[in-house]
Amino acid sequence: MLVIGRKKGESLLIGEDIEITIIKIENGSVKISISAPKEVRILRKELYKEITDENQRAMVFDSATLEKLKK
Amino acid sequence: MELVTKYHGVIEYRNEDVIVFKKGLPGFKELKNYIIFPLESNDAFSILHSVEDIEVGLVLVSPFTISGDYEFKIPDTYIKELEIANSEDVLVLTTVTLNSNVENITTNLKAPIIINIKEKLGEQLILDNDKYKIKESLFKGKNN
Repeated sequence: MLVIGRKKGESLLIGEDIEITIIKIENGSVKISISAPKEVRILRKELYKEITDENQRAMVFDSATLEKLKK
Repeated sequence: MELVTKYHGVIEYRNEDVIVFKKGLPGFKELKNYIIFPLESNDAFSILHSVEDIEVGLVLVSPFTISGDYEFKIPDTYIKELEIANSEDVLVLTTVTLNSNVENITTNLKAPIIINIKEKLGEQLILDNDKYKIKESLFKGKNN
Protein backbone atom coordinates (compact mmCIF):
# COMPACT_ATOMS: atom_id res chain seq x y z
CA MET A 1 0.00 0.00 0.00
CA LEU A 2 1.57 3.28 -1.07
CA VAL A 3 0.34 6.57 0.37
CA ILE A 4 1.47 9.60 -1.55
CA GLY A 5 0.63 13.30 -1.49
CA ARG A 6 -0.09 15.18 -4.70
CA LYS A 7 -0.87 18.80 -5.42
CA LYS A 8 -3.13 20.07 -8.14
CA GLY A 9 -1.56 19.41 -11.51
CA GLU A 10 0.73 16.65 -10.27
CA SER A 11 0.60 13.08 -11.58
CA LEU A 12 1.31 9.48 -10.73
CA LEU A 13 2.47 6.73 -13.05
CA ILE A 14 1.18 3.21 -12.31
CA GLY A 15 2.77 0.26 -14.11
CA GLU A 16 3.65 0.82 -17.75
CA ASP A 17 0.39 2.25 -19.00
CA ILE A 18 -1.52 4.14 -16.35
CA GLU A 19 -1.28 7.81 -15.46
CA ILE A 20 -3.34 9.62 -12.83
CA THR A 21 -3.40 13.41 -12.65
CA ILE A 22 -5.01 15.67 -10.03
CA ILE A 23 -6.97 18.21 -12.07
CA LYS A 24 -8.77 20.20 -9.41
CA ILE A 25 -9.11 20.30 -5.65
CA GLU A 26 -12.13 22.15 -4.38
CA ASN A 27 -14.69 21.94 -1.57
CA GLY A 28 -13.36 18.68 -0.19
CA SER A 29 -13.59 17.02 -3.59
CA VAL A 30 -10.87 16.05 -6.03
CA LYS A 31 -11.16 15.90 -9.79
CA ILE A 32 -8.90 13.19 -11.18
CA SER A 33 -7.90 12.44 -14.73
CA ILE A 34 -7.03 8.81 -15.52
CA SER A 35 -5.23 7.70 -18.61
CA ALA A 36 -5.27 3.91 -19.01
CA PRO A 37 -5.64 1.26 -21.72
CA LYS A 38 -9.25 0.39 -22.64
CA GLU A 39 -8.91 -3.06 -21.07
CA VAL A 40 -8.33 -1.60 -17.61
CA ARG A 41 -11.66 -1.23 -15.87
CA ILE A 42 -12.10 1.90 -13.80
CA LEU A 43 -15.01 2.05 -11.38
CA ARG A 44 -16.15 4.08 -8.43
CA LYS A 45 -15.59 1.73 -5.53
CA GLU A 46 -18.99 2.22 -4.00
CA LEU A 47 -20.62 1.10 -7.26
CA TYR A 48 -18.53 -2.07 -7.31
CA LYS A 49 -19.46 -2.72 -3.68
CA GLU A 50 -23.17 -2.28 -4.44
CA ILE A 51 -22.93 -4.84 -7.24
CA THR A 52 -21.05 -7.22 -4.94
CA ASP A 53 -23.76 -6.88 -2.29
CA GLU A 54 -26.53 -7.41 -4.83
CA ASN A 55 -24.82 -10.55 -6.14
CA GLN A 56 -24.77 -11.85 -2.57
CA ARG A 57 -28.48 -11.16 -2.27
CA ALA A 58 -29.13 -13.04 -5.50
CA MET A 59 -27.94 -16.20 -3.74
CA VAL A 60 -30.94 -16.15 -1.46
CA PHE A 61 -33.24 -18.82 -2.75
CA ASP A 62 -36.86 -18.77 -1.74
CA SER A 63 -38.74 -21.55 -3.51
CA ALA A 64 -42.07 -20.61 -1.91
CA THR A 65 -41.98 -17.17 -3.49
CA LEU A 66 -40.97 -18.59 -6.85
CA GLU A 67 -43.87 -21.03 -6.80
CA LYS A 68 -46.19 -18.11 -6.11
CA LEU A 69 -44.84 -16.32 -9.17
CA LYS A 70 -45.88 -19.08 -11.52
CA LYS A 71 -49.46 -17.90 -11.49
CA MET B 1 -20.50 -35.29 -13.35
CA GLU B 2 -22.47 -34.45 -10.26
CA LEU B 3 -22.63 -31.23 -8.31
CA VAL B 4 -24.06 -31.56 -4.84
CA THR B 5 -25.47 -28.12 -4.09
CA LYS B 6 -26.60 -26.79 -0.74
CA TYR B 7 -29.96 -25.38 -1.86
CA HIS B 8 -30.70 -26.96 -5.22
CA GLY B 9 -30.12 -30.64 -4.73
CA VAL B 10 -27.81 -32.72 -6.91
CA ILE B 11 -27.21 -31.35 -10.39
CA GLU B 12 -25.93 -33.52 -13.23
CA TYR B 13 -23.69 -31.79 -15.74
CA ARG B 14 -21.01 -32.46 -18.34
CA ASN B 15 -17.62 -30.83 -18.33
CA GLU B 16 -18.47 -29.16 -21.66
CA ASP B 17 -21.32 -27.33 -19.90
CA VAL B 18 -19.02 -25.45 -17.56
CA ILE B 19 -18.92 -21.71 -18.20
CA VAL B 20 -15.65 -20.03 -17.30
CA PHE B 21 -15.72 -16.62 -15.69
CA LYS B 22 -12.03 -15.73 -15.94
CA LYS B 23 -12.51 -12.81 -13.58
CA GLY B 24 -14.97 -14.55 -11.31
CA LEU B 25 -17.90 -12.33 -10.27
CA PRO B 26 -17.96 -9.25 -8.04
CA GLY B 27 -18.18 -10.78 -4.56
CA PHE B 28 -16.89 -14.15 -5.83
CA LYS B 29 -13.64 -13.29 -7.54
CA GLU B 30 -12.01 -16.64 -6.80
CA LEU B 31 -14.87 -18.71 -8.24
CA LYS B 32 -14.30 -19.10 -11.97
CA ASN B 33 -16.29 -22.16 -13.02
CA TYR B 34 -20.07 -22.24 -13.20
CA ILE B 35 -22.96 -24.18 -14.66
CA ILE B 36 -26.36 -22.83 -15.46
CA PHE B 37 -29.67 -24.64 -15.13
CA PRO B 38 -33.35 -23.65 -15.13
CA LEU B 39 -35.13 -23.51 -11.81
CA GLU B 40 -37.31 -26.53 -11.34
CA SER B 41 -40.00 -24.61 -9.47
CA ASN B 42 -40.24 -21.87 -12.13
CA ASP B 43 -38.37 -22.11 -15.42
CA ALA B 44 -38.60 -18.39 -16.13
CA PHE B 45 -35.62 -18.28 -13.79
CA SER B 46 -32.22 -19.94 -13.90
CA ILE B 47 -29.46 -20.58 -11.45
CA LEU B 48 -25.84 -19.76 -12.20
CA HIS B 49 -24.10 -22.14 -9.84
CA SER B 50 -20.46 -22.41 -8.92
CA VAL B 51 -18.98 -25.88 -9.36
CA GLU B 52 -16.35 -24.87 -6.82
CA ASP B 53 -18.60 -23.81 -3.95
CA ILE B 54 -21.74 -25.73 -3.01
CA GLU B 55 -23.44 -22.64 -1.59
CA VAL B 56 -22.96 -20.19 -4.42
CA GLY B 57 -25.91 -20.19 -6.80
CA LEU B 58 -27.28 -16.92 -8.16
CA VAL B 59 -30.89 -16.59 -9.25
CA LEU B 60 -31.03 -15.13 -12.76
CA VAL B 61 -33.70 -14.02 -15.16
CA SER B 62 -33.74 -12.88 -18.76
CA PRO B 63 -34.01 -9.09 -18.46
CA PHE B 64 -35.80 -8.80 -21.80
CA THR B 65 -38.86 -10.54 -20.41
CA ILE B 66 -39.47 -7.66 -18.05
CA SER B 67 -37.99 -4.79 -19.97
CA GLY B 68 -38.70 -4.93 -23.69
CA ASP B 69 -36.46 -1.96 -24.36
CA TYR B 70 -33.48 -2.99 -22.22
CA GLU B 71 -30.47 -2.03 -24.26
CA PHE B 72 -26.75 -1.49 -23.78
CA LYS B 73 -23.55 -1.74 -25.72
CA ILE B 74 -21.11 -4.52 -24.94
CA PRO B 75 -17.71 -2.77 -24.91
CA ASP B 76 -15.08 -4.00 -27.37
CA THR B 77 -12.86 -5.24 -24.57
CA TYR B 78 -15.66 -7.57 -23.41
CA ILE B 79 -16.28 -8.75 -26.98
CA LYS B 80 -12.61 -9.65 -27.13
CA GLU B 81 -12.35 -11.22 -23.67
CA LEU B 82 -15.49 -13.30 -24.22
CA GLU B 83 -14.37 -14.20 -27.77
CA ILE B 84 -17.74 -13.18 -29.16
CA ALA B 85 -17.87 -13.74 -32.91
CA ASN B 86 -21.61 -13.78 -33.40
CA SER B 87 -24.38 -11.93 -31.59
CA GLU B 88 -26.39 -15.16 -31.57
CA ASP B 89 -23.86 -16.68 -29.21
CA VAL B 90 -24.56 -14.04 -26.58
CA LEU B 91 -26.81 -14.74 -23.60
CA VAL B 92 -27.66 -11.89 -21.26
CA LEU B 93 -29.05 -12.60 -17.81
CA THR B 94 -29.52 -10.42 -14.75
CA THR B 95 -29.46 -11.38 -11.08
CA VAL B 96 -32.69 -11.52 -9.13
CA THR B 97 -33.12 -10.50 -5.52
CA LEU B 98 -36.11 -12.37 -4.16
CA ASN B 99 -38.53 -11.18 -1.52
CA SER B 100 -41.52 -12.82 0.11
CA ASN B 101 -43.46 -9.77 -1.05
CA VAL B 102 -43.60 -10.23 -4.84
CA GLU B 103 -43.71 -6.49 -5.48
CA ASN B 104 -40.31 -6.15 -3.85
CA ILE B 105 -38.57 -8.66 -6.11
CA THR B 106 -35.92 -6.83 -8.10
CA THR B 107 -33.41 -7.52 -10.82
CA ASN B 108 -30.04 -5.87 -11.38
CA LEU B 109 -30.20 -4.20 -14.79
CA LYS B 110 -27.10 -2.20 -14.01
CA ALA B 111 -24.77 -5.21 -14.05
CA PRO B 112 -25.87 -7.76 -16.64
CA ILE B 113 -24.12 -11.10 -16.85
CA ILE B 114 -22.88 -11.68 -20.36
CA ILE B 115 -22.30 -15.26 -21.48
CA ASN B 116 -20.85 -16.52 -24.74
CA ILE B 117 -22.74 -19.80 -24.94
CA LYS B 118 -20.57 -21.08 -27.78
CA GLU B 119 -17.19 -20.56 -26.13
CA LYS B 120 -18.57 -21.05 -22.62
CA LEU B 121 -17.14 -17.79 -21.30
CA GLY B 122 -18.83 -15.28 -19.04
CA GLU B 123 -18.34 -11.93 -17.35
CA GLN B 124 -20.47 -9.47 -15.42
CA LEU B 125 -20.60 -6.06 -17.08
CA ILE B 126 -21.19 -3.01 -14.91
CA LEU B 127 -22.97 -0.22 -16.80
CA ASP B 128 -21.70 2.97 -15.29
CA ASN B 129 -24.51 5.28 -16.32
CA ASP B 130 -27.81 6.42 -14.85
CA LYS B 131 -30.01 4.57 -17.28
CA TYR B 132 -30.59 1.40 -15.28
CA LYS B 133 -30.83 0.57 -11.62
CA ILE B 134 -29.29 -2.12 -9.48
CA LYS B 135 -32.73 -2.74 -8.02
CA GLU B 136 -35.20 -2.64 -10.87
CA SER B 137 -38.64 -3.89 -9.93
CA LEU B 138 -39.52 -7.15 -11.70
CA PHE B 139 -43.26 -6.79 -11.37
CA LYS B 140 -43.71 -3.09 -11.41
CA GLY B 141 -47.23 -2.06 -12.12
CA LYS B 142 -48.59 -5.54 -12.51
CA ASN B 143 -51.63 -5.97 -10.35
CA ASN B 144 -52.56 -9.55 -9.71
